[in-house]
Amino acid sequence: MNAALDGVRGSGNLTEDKVKKVTREIRLALLEADVNYAVVKEFVGNVRERATGAEVSKALSPGQQVVKIVNEELAKLMGGTSHKLTFASRPPTVVMLAGLNGHGKTTAAGKLALFVRKLGKNPYLVACDTYRPAAIDQLQQIGLELGVPVYAAGTEPSPEEIAERGIKAAADGGYDFVIVDTAGRQVVDLEMMEEIKRVRGAARPHSVLLVLDVVTGQTAVEVAQAFQEYADFDGMILTKLDGDARGGAALSVVSVTGRPIRFASEGEKMSEFDYFYPDRMAGRILGMGDVLTLIEKAEQQLDREEAEADAKRMMSGKFTFEDFLKQMQMLKRMGPLSGLLGMIPGLNKQLQGTQIDDRMLGRVEAMVTSMTPQEQRNPKLLQNASRVRRVARGAGTTQQEVQKLVKQFNEMQKMMRQIGKGGVPKMPRMPF
Amino acid sequence: MATQTEVVEGTARSEDGVSAAEEVLVGRSEPVTYEDVVEEVAPGEVEEALQEPGAVEEAHDIEEAVEAPGAGGWFGRLRSGLRRSRESVVGQLNAAVAEFRDVEDEEFWETVEEILIASDVGVTTTSKLVRELEQEALERNITSGKELRALLVEHAARMLEGPVELDVSHRPTVILMVGVNGTGKTTTIGKLVNFLPGSAMLAAGDTFRAAAIEQLQRWGERTGAPVVSRERGADAAAVAHDAVEMAKRDGVDVLLVDTAGRLHTKVNLMAELDKVRRVIGRRLPGAPHEVLLTIDATTGQNGLRQAKMFNEFAGVTGVILTKLDGTAKGGIALAIANEIEVPIKLVSVGEKAEDLHPFDAREFTEALFGDL
Repeated sequence: MNAALDGVRGSGNLTEDKVKKVTREIRLALLEADVNYAVVKEFVGNVRERATGAEVSKALSPGQQVVKIVNEELAKLMGGTSHKLTFASRPPTVVMLAGLNGHGKTTAAGKLALFVRKLGKNPYLVACDTYRPAAIDQLQQIGLELGVPVYAAGTEPSPEEIAERGIKAAADGGYDFVIVDTAGRQVVDLEMMEEIKRVRGAARPHSVLLVLDVVTGQTAVEVAQAFQEYADFDGMILTKLDGDARGGAALSVVSVTGRPIRFASEGEKMSEFDYFYPDRMAGRILGMGDVLTLIEKAEQQLDREEAEADAKRMMSGKFTFEDFLKQMQMLKRMGPLSGLLGMIPGLNKQLQGTQIDDRMLGRVEAMVTSMTPQEQRNPKLLQNASRVRRVARGAGTTQQEVQKLVKQFNEMQKMMRQIGKGGVPKMPRMPF
Repeated sequence: MATQTEVVEGTARSEDGVSAAEEVLVGRSEPVTYEDVVEEVAPGEVEEALQEPGAVEEAHDIEEAVEAPGAGGWFGRLRSGLRRSRESVVGQLNAAVAEFRDVEDEEFWETVEEILIASDVGVTTTSKLVRELEQEALERNITSGKELRALLVEHAARMLEGPVELDVSHRPTVILMVGVNGTGKTTTIGKLVNFLPGSAMLAAGDTFRAAAIEQLQRWGERTGAPVVSRERGADAAAVAHDAVEMAKRDGVDVLLVDTAGRLHTKVNLMAELDKVRRVIGRRLPGAPHEVLLTIDATTGQNGLRQAKMFNEFAGVTGVILTKLDGTAKGGIALAIANEIEVPIKLVSVGEKAEDLHPFDAREFTEALFGDL
C-alpha cells in the first residue's frame, strides 16, 4: 500500500494514471474488508471519477490524496440521514428486531431497552422467538437483570399473536417503548421470511431494525435485500463490533438498501451500545488507520507551517496586502470579528468602547482586492494618486478611504517589525 | 452486568476444579429481581383492541419451496439453498466458460476471481488459486472452458481436502466445542449427539450467556443425553471437571463440552478456554480428543482470524461450518484450509437434529461453482 501512496507531494492535479494505481489498492483493501465485490466495483468507479483531476493538497502525496477522498466518500455513504431515535407521538413506540440466526438480536434487544431507559423511556420486551430452544428464557433473564419486564407466552402461540398481545400488554401497563424480539432466520427459508412479514403486520412497528453481525461476508447484500423485501427494515444495528472484523458488510448493506446503520453494539456488557458513528466505521473498513493518521498530521503540519511562515514574514516587516487579505479571509472563516477579538485575553479591555463593524471588513477586502498583485505585494506603489483613484473606483469607495487604509497599513507594518524585534509598541489604530 | 472477563488464576485452585466456581461470581452484580415478568392477556381482548383495517396482512403466496430436483440428502439441500444466490454467479461463470478463448483471456480470469471473492474465499486464497490454475492451464495447454472448470473444482477441492473423521476411539471421548458468539456451538452439540455413535453426555460450559444452560438442557431432553451443569456464572472449568468425572464414572462414550461464545480478540476469555482445556486434560490424560471450532458460513474474512486465534489458544482439531443452508457460500472454508491448515470436518446445513454431515471437499466445491 505504501508503495502505491508514495510519490511527489502536492504535484498539482491527480492524473488518471495515479488514481488508477491507488484505487487498485483501495479495491483490494475493501474486498479484504468484506465489502461486497459488486459494491466495491461501483464505489471504486465513483471514487476514480471524483479523484481524477482533483487538486492535490500541498501537504499530501497524490496517493494520500486519493485515500483521503476514499475515506470521505465512505463516511458520506454511511452517514445517511438522521440516526437518532425518534419516538411515536402516541406511545408506545414499537421497534421490531429481525435478522439471521446468531447475529445477536436477543442481546441487542436487552441493550436497546437499557439505552432507551437512559433516554427517559420506560421499555418493555416482547419475546417472539418461539423456535430456538430457551430463546425466551434468554430474554427473560436479560429482562430480569435490567429490571425490564418481558412479555412471554411460551412457544405455543404464533409469533404474530405474541407480538400483538405483548404490545397491548405494554400499552396497558403504561410502557412507552416496546422492543419485539423475533427468531433468527435464514433468508432462503421462505416460510420463515413470510412469517417475519406477518409479525411485522401484526406488530405495526414504528421502526424495524435489522441486526447484523459485523463479521458478515459477501452475502450481506443478499441478506439485506431479502430482509428489506420481507421485513422492510428502516435501519440497522451492527453487532459484535468489539471484535477485529473490518466490517465491510456495513458498507455493502447501506449502499444496496439505502438504510442507515443506527446503532453500534460492542461487548458483553449491556451498556455497550450506542448510536453509530459513520466516520469511525469508514476508517475501520478502509483498514488504513496509519495512513489516515498520517494524512491528518500532514495537513495539520501544513497549516502550522504556513501560519508560522506568515508570522515570520509579518514580524520581519515584509507584511504585504496579500498577507493581509489572507489573514482577513481566515478571520472571516472564524466568525464575527467582534466576538473573536473579545475572546483574546487583554485585548478585551483595550477594545472597550471601540465599535467593530464586521461590514467594515468587507469594505477593506474590496479595496485590497481592487489592487493589482504588484500593489498588494508592494504597498509603496500606492503613493501614486492615479493608482489610488483606480483602487477607489474598483472598490466603490472614495480616494480618502483608500489613502486611510494605506496609511494604517503602513503603521501596522511598522508595528509588526517592532514586535519582531521584541519591542511592545503602542497599539495603532486598526484600519477597521 | 459485569463482564465475562474474570479468569480464575492459579492452577492449584483449579486442580480440584470445584472450588473455583464461586470465585467467578465475584464481581458480577446481583441481578435485579423483577416480579412482574409475564403478563398473560386473553387473546380475544387483544384482537379486538388491535384490529384495524389493513393491519392484518394478506397471507402471501409462498413461493414454491426451493428443492433441487432429484437431488436428495444434505448435498441436495445445500445445493438448493445455494441456488438462489448462486444463480447470478453461475450465470457469469457459464458465460465466461462459454466465451473462453485461451489462457491469455484476461476477462475470463477476472470473472473467476470475482466468483471466488463473491463466495468469501478472500483475496489471498483467490489469487493463489487463480495463479495455480493459470499455470496448469498453460502447461497442459487447456483450451476448453469445460476442462478449465473441472480443473478449478479440482484445485479448490484439493485445497479443502483433509481428514474429516472425528477421533472417537476413547472412553470417554471428550469433544470441546469452541467459537465466537452466535456461530452455533450449542445447536451443533445437539446435532452431534445424533451424529456420533454410542452414548453421549453434555456439559453446560456456557455459564455466561443468559439461558445458554437451559438451551443445552432442551437439547438434552430432545436427544436423551444427560446434561451436567452448574448455576449460571459458575466457572466453566469446574463444569468441565465435573462432567469428565461423571462421564468416566458412568462409562459414557462421548462427552460434549459446550463453552461460552467469545470473540477471539478477548485475550482473557481465550485464556479461560485454555484453562478449561487444561482441566479436562488433567482429569483425563490425552483429552480433549477433539477441539471443534464452529464457523458461521456467512462469515467473511474475519473467519481467518477466528480460526487462527482459536487454534493458537485451544488447539483446534477441526472446523464445523455452520448455517450452510443460507445464502452463504462458505468460501471462507477455502481460505481457512489454505492459510490456517485446520481441516474442515463437518458441515451443518439445517435446523433439524440430523442436519450434520461429514465435510466432502468435492461436493462442497461442486456446490460452490454450480452444476455446469
